[in-house]
Amino acid sequence: MNEYVLKTINLSKKYKLQTALNNVNLSIKKGAIYGFIGQNGAGKSTLIRLVSGLAFPTTGTIELFGKSNGTELIEARKRIGTIIEGPALYPQMTAAENLEVHRLLKGIPGKECIEKTLKLVGLQETGKKKAKNFSLGMKQRLGLAIALLGDPEFLILDEPINGLDPMGVVEIRELLKSLCQEYGITILISSHILSELHLLATHYCLIHKGELLEQLTAQELNEKCQQFLHIKVDNPNKAASVLEKELATTNFEVMPDGVIKLFAYLDEPGKVSTILTNHGLIIEQFMPMGEDLEGYFMNRIGGVNHG
Amino acid sequence: MGNLLKSELFKLRKDRSLWTLIIIIMASAIFYPTLIFIDNGANSATVNEFFTNTGIDGNNYIVKLVPCILAGFFISSEYSIGTMKSIGASGNHRIRIYFAKLMAFSIGAMIISLVFPIVIMAASAILFGANDLPALDYFIQTMGLTILYAAAFASIMSLFSIIFTDSGKTIGFLIIFFLLIDSLLYAFSQKFALIETIFNYSVFKLFLDISKIHLGNGALLKFLLVPIITWFVFAILGSLIFQKKEIK
Repeated sequence: MNEYVLKTINLSKKYKLQTALNNVNLSIKKGAIYGFIGQNGAGKSTLIRLVSGLAFPTTGTIELFGKSNGTELIEARKRIGTIIEGPALYPQMTAAENLEVHRLLKGIPGKECIEKTLKLVGLQETGKKKAKNFSLGMKQRLGLAIALLGDPEFLILDEPINGLDPMGVVEIRELLKSLCQEYGITILISSHILSELHLLATHYCLIHKGELLEQLTAQELNEKCQQFLHIKVDNPNKAASVLEKELATTNFEVMPDGVIKLFAYLDEPGKVSTILTNHGLIIEQFMPMGEDLEGYFMNRIGGVNHG
Repeated sequence: MGNLLKSELFKLRKDRSLWTLIIIIMASAIFYPTLIFIDNGANSATVNEFFTNTGIDGNNYIVKLVPCILAGFFISSEYSIGTMKSIGASGNHRIRIYFAKLMAFSIGAMIISLVFPIVIMAASAILFGANDLPALDYFIQTMGLTILYAAAFASIMSLFSIIFTDSGKTIGFLIIFFLLIDSLLYAFSQKFALIETIFNYSVFKLFLDISKIHLGNGALLKFLLVPIITWFVFAILGSLIFQKKEIK
């Protein structure tokens, strides 16, 4: 049995003068939630569009449920549910009618699935309200309902929590978690809200300028996230020079707000604080901290330099 | 294919632009004979005259221009609202997707093409009396040919709709195209023999003659085959373009 729902092999997509994706080798394991992280224009949507069959690769192979040739690959797409670049809805139709279009399209017998799916995403009460009058959050939910119709084995969700209120974000997060845990649905989710991805994803794919930087599990990420001492003193410049002279380290960074991130002496915080105090510095904040997903990603793409 | 077609027909049924266009055409078809009736009285015209002179001849513009608006809203707008992405990612072959869309759109165009002559005939029969109705075989011939030509035009419209992928551009281009194509083909046919032959056997020329009363067997065959071939040729062309086109 195939362990992976999706594999891309040397996948590239080039437009006239621009390389949108460059030799991407991505593997999505069955039953996991993948956070797909990248800046705007990094290639996330291009990859999703290639996998969904909306665009065609310049070179490389896409293997979906182990199928990679033309007709089989197209048929394999029946097993996926997608939200691509926002929810795609018929504005003049109600939520139920939007689902009916997709029920007919997917050939799902019986209309019971419509009510069930609307209930699942919390839209069972929308009645005759047309999709054009929905809030952005409701549109996102309806987009998710469309993706969920027909019990897909693999969900590809491009920014599915955009526009949701805090309560909605929690509900959708719990829903996605339960879909993965209870039904074994594999999820690839791209989002700019990295803190939210951190609470949801079991794996991460980092993409930058069309290249896949890294694929790692949540556990590996936690291990890799850099730890540091967060120090705020009354005179950051003096503190920096003290650290250099007394502790012989340049492995720190002075942030614009005056906070010093010290990446060395993590096991000796007492020594650091004593030396700073002995030099007449007043310590306002002093605590060990860890880099979060956002920080890790910024580091990987070269957005932050440590001393 | 069956699922795709069911889905497209459901969308067609729910398409507001289709119903709006039908209501406007119906209102015109009722309004015109009513005006004649008010102005000139009950004996001024017959149902047959209304059906042939206004219903069929006046329908020429409706068949060629009104579905252009439907094409913009029913086909091109799928791109602008993003729903073409879910259809494209649904695991169906592009050719099937295109043909399902085209078939549903052709049905919409056929419905539009029948509304004006049928409603004007019914309205004039009520107002002027049902004494001089068109012969049944003539009625079937003209209505049958009308829907065939409407489908052929729909196939051409569908091709341009997936090229432009924007309802405004599609509607604008198609209306100008269908307004000018007859005159352009006619003008070039005066200078080039090949274009003259193409024009004479084109849906654009033959459609103008479908109200002729006695079509011989040979002519009738030509009148039947040309729109059918046109539908298939443009359907195949359109599906090939759609197959190669990236959905944005």
